[in-house]
Amino acid sequence: MASPAGLELYHQIQQLYFREARLFAERRYREWLETFVDREVHYWLPIFEERYRADRKPPPEFPPAIYDDNYRDLEERIERLETNLVWMEDPPSRIRHLITNLEVYQADQPDQLETFSNFLVSRNRREREQTILVGAREDRLRRGANGWRLLRRKIVMPQRVVLDTNLYYLI
Amino acid sequence: MSIDIRNLIDVRNGKQKKRIFWDEELYQLELDRIFGRCWLFLTHESEIPKPGDFFCTYMGEEPVIVVRTRAGELRGFLNTCTHRGNQLCQAESGNTRAFTCSYHGWSFDLDGRLAAVPLEADAYHHRIDKAALGLRAVPRVESFGGFVFGCFDPEAPPLRDYLGEMAWYLETFTACGGAELLGPPLKSVLHCNWKIPCENFICDSYHIGWTHAAALKVLGGPLAAMSGNSQAPPGIGAQVSTRHGHGFGIIWDAAPALHRDPAFADFLRAKQPRVAAQLGETRGRLYTAHWDAGIFPNCSFLYGTQVWKMWHPRGPRECEVWTWTLVEKEMSAELKRKIQKEALRTFGTAGTFESDDGQNMYGCTYTNRGPFARRGEMLGAMGLERDAAHPELPGLYNESNYSEAALRGFYRFYAEMLEARGWDEVAAHTRSMAGGGHGAAGAARD
Repeated sequence: MASPAGLELYHQIQQLYFREARLFAERRYREWLETFVDREVHYWLPIFEERYRADRKPPPEFPPAIYDDNYRDLEERIERLETNLVWMEDPPSRIRHLITNLEVYQADQPDQLETFSNFLVSRNRREREQTILVGAREDRLRRGANGWRLLRRKIVMPQRVVLDTNLYYLI
Repeated sequence: MSIDIRNLIDVRNGKQKKRIFWDEELYQLELDRIFGRCWLFLTHESEIPKPGDFFCTYMGEEPVIVVRTRAGELRGFLNTCTHRGNQLCQAESGNTRAFTCSYHGWSFDLDGRLAAVPLEADAYHHRIDKAALGLRAVPRVESFGGFVFGCFDPEAPPLRDYLGEMAWYLETFTACGGAELLGPPLKSVLHCNWKIPCENFICDSYHIGWTHAAALKVLGGPLAAMSGNSQAPPGIGAQVSTRHGHGFGIIWDAAPALHRDPAFADFLRAKQPRVAAQLGETRGRLYTAHWDAGIFPNCSFLYGTQVWKMWHPRGPRECEVWTWTLVEKEMSAELKRKIQKEALRTFGTAGTFESDDGQNMYGCTYTNRGPFARRGEMLGAMGLERDAAHPELPGLYNESNYSEAALRGFYRFYAEMLEARGWDEVAAHTRSMAGGGHGAAGAARD
């Protein structure tokens, strides 16, 4: 395992993630994209299969994903929300991200970090709807001219059958 | 029977009572008479290619295991142990030699035979008839173009006849090189009655411009003008309803409209002459059209967008949607991957289009909480006066895709299955219809 980040770097990354969570809560997606996301990002939420431990079947040749986005894909998702024609978000839902269990490590490349974190996302909509999603993120951050940027994010999703009607929100 | 089906479904005028989305008693009748008697999509052969491969799914509310036997045949079994009824297989797919129950360890082979009972001599003193305790088989499992269906009713017609005229249409993408599904499926919960997404996929072009206004606007291209209903879709298309409740809407020349990468459109254009030569000009033209389609009762797909869906009912007010990517076998691995990305990006669990629909489907279901709302009815009469026959397209034809012809066909057969005593009655009705192969058109006028 690569070496853990020092206290100051750890604090800096933690602040970055807390700020990211606040941008999501305030629906400032464009700002998130422009200030935190690397142009070469891969934002990925793969699904998994419930198999027996001793199963002999090879994994799927074309593993499906709920998100398999590059920078332009993410930007189009944000543009969609910015049209103000997404009726599901009008009135808007209320989303809150809790980010915990943060680990920060120096990656193999000197300008990159590997991080692990857990999340709890709650989404409240309309009168009574509340959904809660708990999972994990495995990120790679890259240092650019304007600080750390999200280069890779793998979202680890524990629900095989997604219990929410959709997952159209950023994690 | 205490439910008056004719009161719920007004076939002639294209109206349905709202309580069909809410009523528990009706739901139990649907499980018996529709899910218990119709052919239901299970999986695609490409998901279980080798002996011992299995895939667990549902037929209505019944958990079933679909397995490829040592002899290479496809079999289906109720996923329940014949001892005390525990769920037998707890994995969703894989490859195995046997299925062993987690309760007492009874073990069943790939043909469903009870192969091993632990401590048999001590527990049963050799007085257990293992041959009589095999898994309960799904009596009918058949496949069409690699798409595997199962049916609980031994009296049902063969799958090919059940699909009927729809099979002729499906051949457009299954008969010339073959199709397959990329799994495992995405799975998520929708808080709505199962029929709502079925009717939405089988006919509803009308909602696209409004429900999906945002996604269309961002997408650009030929369909962007539909955003906010500023314009009907180019060429407007047509709608087809076939016997046994299947059907689809067509937007001509629009197959890869939601796919941003041109590689898919290039593939279709290059292959089209071959499809036309092999299957005729009509299906050659359908090959590059976009279809929003339904196979009765609860299987839907979008040809052109390339998603394949099952809406598994979970009580009258919830369903589970399973989503595969539809591709052609002749496509390169790279093209399949590109199509999968675009299909799931638009109609997956975080789909730019799919995520627009959930709120509407919830709303159509849950406004029926109260008895006053439930006594009301819904209108499905769009284009009713234009339901007709077409010289080349089998089934009932409507010259506009802004129509509810296929929805009416869905509910016509829905009502028929709920009322019929058995398949012989349905078959007699088919024979009595005018027009032979164009039976649905006859049914519409009766």
